[in-house]
Amino acid sequence: MKPLNKTLTGLLSALLLLPGYNGFSQGAEKASLNIAISYFNTNNRIPYLAVNVKSKITGRFQPVGGVAVKLFLNKDSAGTFIGKVVTSEKGEAHTFIPPSLQKEWASSKSHTFLASFDGDKVYDPAKADLTVGKAKILIDTVAGRSVVATLMEMKDATWTPVKGADVVLAVRRLGSDLNINETLTFATDSTGKASGDFKRDSIPGDAKGDITLVAKIVDNDKYGNLSVEKTVPWGAKFKYNSTFNERTLFATRDKAPIWLQLIAYSIMFAVWGILIYLVFNVFKIKKLGESAK
Amino acid sequence: MENSTLIADEKIIADLLPQKFGKWGKIWTGFLVAICLVGMYAYYRQLRYGLIVTNMKDYVSWGIYISNFVFFVAISLVGSLITAVFRLANVHWSTPLTRIAEMIAVAAIIFASLIIIVDMGSPERFYYLFTHGRIQSPIIWDVIVITTYFFISILLLFYPLLPDIKILLRFKEKSGNALHKFYNYIGSFWKGTPEQFKLSDKAINILCITIIPVAFTIHTVTSWLFATTYRPGWDSTNFGAYFIAGAFLVGAGSVVVAMYVFRKAYHLEKYITENHFEKMGRIVVLLALLYLYFNVNEFLTPAFKMKESESAYLTGLFSGNFSLPFWFAIIVGMILPIIILVFKKGRKPLPMFIVGIMVVVGAWFKRYLIVTPTLLHPFLPMHDVPASYRHYFPSWEEWAITCGSLAGTMLIITILARIFPIIPIQETITEQHETVE
Repeated sequence: MKPLNKTLTGLLSALLLLPGYNGFSQGAEKASLNIAISYFNTNNRIPYLAVNVKSKITGRFQPVGGVAVKLFLNKDSAGTFIGKVVTSEKGEAHTFIPPSLQKEWASSKSHTFLASFDGDKVYDPAKADLTVGKAKILIDTVAGRSVVATLMEMKDATWTPVKGADVVLAVRRLGSDLNINETLTFATDSTGKASGDFKRDSIPGDAKGDITLVAKIVDNDKYGNLSVEKTVPWGAKFKYNSTFNERTLFATRDKAPIWLQLIAYSIMFAVWGILIYLVFNVFKIKKLGESAK
Repeated sequence: MENSTLIADEKIIADLLPQKFGKWGKIWTGFLVAICLVGMYAYYRQLRYGLIVTNMKDYVSWGIYISNFVFFVAISLVGSLITAVFRLANVHWSTPLTRIAEMIAVAAIIFASLIIIVDMGSPERFYYLFTHGRIQSPIIWDVIVITTYFFISILLLFYPLLPDIKILLRFKEKSGNALHKFYNYIGSFWKGTPEQFKLSDKAINILCITIIPVAFTIHTVTSWLFATTYRPGWDSTNFGAYFIAGAFLVGAGSVVVAMYVFRKAYHLEKYITENHFEKMGRIVVLLALLYLYFNVNEFLTPAFKMKESESAYLTGLFSGNFSLPFWFAIIVGMILPIIILVFKKGRKPLPMFIVGIMVVVGAWFKRYLIVTPTLLHPFLPMHDVPASYRHYFPSWEEWAITCGSLAGTMLIITILARIFPIIPIQETITEQHETVE
């Protein structure tokens, strides 16, 4: 082999081997997490927080489960520790604000929630915060089937009406909430009130015809998610008709459908009638044979 | 008879009288009894220790027993085809085959009932079927219709036997004391008077008309045991017709095998002629084409859609764990018989015998494939179950009981052939006389 050929062969071999050598490559980089906090208050009771953790995997954000997130109220210190939550497969976790923070909660008209993740082998440390103002929402009804919601915020130690906020007025159903009419949201006026006419006549309620109305603000930048419910007898009375004791194909043996029994037993009697006749026929033949003797 | 040489009455009787077992007959019977005894020992173990001795688990709760049951029900359908359909259609060439078909039908339906009791585990559960059964359940329909079909088959075997019993009673020295007493008990009243013939013919005609819808019902209801449940492979509106087509094919195949064996063993070449094989060959090829057509319908349309819930089941059959028995059943049980039988040379006795075996064996595997793969592919995924739940292969007890039941069926046919004429003697003589006239 000529020296030139040897050199070319050597270079080619080195080139071919290089892709398989990872000595030049950097160590695998950790992925970054995206933490989002949401604030909820239902029926003006104990507020709670929802934590949502995602990461960009194969080009799109996907939920990350098993992430331990620490939550604090206003500042990162032992005295303001809300709790530690671990996300589910859907990347979600929830926690109530504990009674131990009641004093801290009452001390201010707005609060900042802090979330922090310390990092692990896969993900870098991550932080998030959310500031919400203290607010409450009320619901009432007026004659003629109208729903009135009132949104108020805490200002100078008094509840002050909020103007221009979008409020959803709806009826609780099984899967989600159904708006009380075609309007999706109602804006509050200077008195903090938003009202709408209830147009869901004959909507099924419970046995008494009760339905649950709900007034809520959703993902509001200032106040988070607030909702309040009220039960009213505006629905149609729902009567459950049990088929348990009726004659069905899936009922017990004594409750077989009449049509099935008629068909099945008619066929059985017809066929077995023929068979019994044919057995008697044998005896007839036997009798004929005996008389032929 | 279409045989060119006419045979004298006495010669016909001498040829067709039941014969004592020769050396090979004894070996054959002993062999079947031995298999039955092993099966009975396995059944004793199942009774003693429970269904735990089987490999059936939560998912595959219908295993080889139910496959075998469907196979027996299918075979039993042949009685209605050869005896009833041909008789009502005035097809005379099938006369020498009617008794064989009826014997197969009776033997198969007996073991279809027995194997169901075996599958229940504790045999007293069979009694509970009657005391606690729901008329809404296809299982009860099956119990009713199998019982009915059994009685019709017995009557259809018995009525045409009466004139032959009169002939058999003439040959006491040949049949022996015990058999003579038996013949005397079941048919000594038959004198062959015109009135008796009239009543008997009328009864046979009624039976032939009755057995056809009952036979269709027995196999349709058996198919509904599967089709009324929502599972991959069973969720089909085609199942009744698909099962009946398959049943006629395996029944005809079994008759061909029995024809060949009896013809050879009892030297019945003058009565079961090559012409019978030729005609049965045409019937088998027609039935194989029909069953293949139903199979194409049953598998092509779901395979074309390949719904996610059924894809694992279908790919398992086409190219997975069950592909070998599946393609064996399709190719050996249907396609090859069609190819062989479309040629005249293929419809000769020996090739027909081989084809008959191919059809019957292919049909048995087909029944196994109808039952097991579906149960291994439920719509809801299997979670947190032991590995043994995910596959099924019968235990030795299941194999032994299954083989015992198959041997038992053949043993009943063998015993019936020893007791009664395989070919109806009186009908053969009558047809001979009609041919002369």
